[in-house]
Amino acid sequence: MNIEKGKICNMQLLFLIASFVQGSVLLIDFTVGITEHQTWMVILAGLVIAIPFFLSYITLAKRFKGMNVVQINDMVYGRFLGKVISVYYIFFLMMTLSFNIRDVGELHITFLMPDTPFIFLLAVFAATCAYAVAKGLEVLARISHLFAIVGIVVPISTFILLVDQMNFSNFLPLFEVPFIKMFHGTHIMLSIPFGETIVFLMIMGSLDDTEHMARNALIGLLIGTTSLLVVSIRNTAVLGNTQAIWTSPSFQSIRLIDIGTILTRMDFLIGIAQTVLIFFKCCIFFYALVTAVSQLLGLKSYSPLVLPLAGIEVIIAATVFQSPVDHASITQDAGIMYSVPLMFLIPPLTLLIAKIRGLPRPERGKGA
Amino acid sequence: MIFLIMIYIVIFLLNVPGLINRKEWRELTVFLVLYIIAFIMGLMYTLDVPIPSPMEGLQYLIAEVLGIKYPKN
Repeated sequence: MNIEKGKICNMQLLFLIASFVQGSVLLIDFTVGITEHQTWMVILAGLVIAIPFFLSYITLAKRFKGMNVVQINDMVYGRFLGKVISVYYIFFLMMTLSFNIRDVGELHITFLMPDTPFIFLLAVFAATCAYAVAKGLEVLARISHLFAIVGIVVPISTFILLVDQMNFSNFLPLFEVPFIKMFHGTHIMLSIPFGETIVFLMIMGSLDDTEHMARNALIGLLIGTTSLLVVSIRNTAVLGNTQAIWTSPSFQSIRLIDIGTILTRMDFLIGIAQTVLIFFKCCIFFYALVTAVSQLLGLKSYSPLVLPLAGIEVIIAATVFQSPVDHASITQDAGIMYSVPLMFLIPPLTLLIAKIRGLPRPERGKGA
Repeated sequence: MIFLIMIYIVIFLLNVPGLINRKEWRELTVFLVLYIIAFIMGLMYTLDVPIPSPMEGLQYLIAEVLGIKYPKN
């Protein structure tokens, strides 16, 4: 039995996916140092390569209607191996959530509130996420369109305000970055904004109607990618190759907004927008984590686990990396490697095994 | 340290009475296990006891032992 009793509709799934992908807008910075002015290309390449895998997640959710990934693993791989794969999935959720909580802490310490204790920022942020998750999936889904609007309006409005400072020759020469760097950048984009959508295997089981799920999920993915592209193009057009030397190219480009000396220092806008978007992404990760753990352990409700898991996540986030440099360095290597089987191997394999074994059997019996 | 203990007392009071009233023993057991782990980790952080990072271990395993890494520059 699925641990989540609430139901969401297809339109809410669209906004959930869009705002989830927009939540990774800060993480483009991991790629910028590698692919420089060709970052927009790796975003597009990442999207194109990610779509078949994304469709495999959707097909899995459609095939195993009403089930989450822990239940699917148990059914396809058996009780023992299924649980091992679910533990791998939970480890991925725990680590990725802690990285995202840490991202918010680093953002605030570096740009907005340098004198505030790091652990305090992490604890307050995690407590807010815990509060939202305790309210349930339906509440998150109901407000998802507001986050998606923030994720669209802020990049587009800052893009327009910076048009006079853009130099589109910054995109030239094309194809200058070596292939291995482009491959590395594409891998980062593939894993971080797009591959992380595997988290929706914990959510898609709560859809009330799966008929238009693929179309809505893909539109959501495209809206999210458009925001990432707008930010990437804006940063490259404004900063050129110097974007690779800034800690946060987005902050640096927004600081250059100067409309009649009235509209200036708008970096706070980016600070708020990015905090809001990462908050939503963290809520989705946190929700998936608590429901996956509860499902794995056969609990009736996930709410008692929310606060203890938030406490664990705060400490992991505070100690997982020694510095922002360490964070970027490990994310660019092990951070994207360890999740490759989970994102790109296990879902298509699960689908293949399910097809060969004719799973789920009761559903097939009904249709026959 | 005092804040940590206060926060964990609040978390305990928010969850445990309800779980006992509803006789959800399995949920209570899982809650207590995670609660103790979270408290010990919080205590270690407060007392500056080094907490091993799983990502550093993974980085060593993937990059150094298995040799799977992207070239730097």
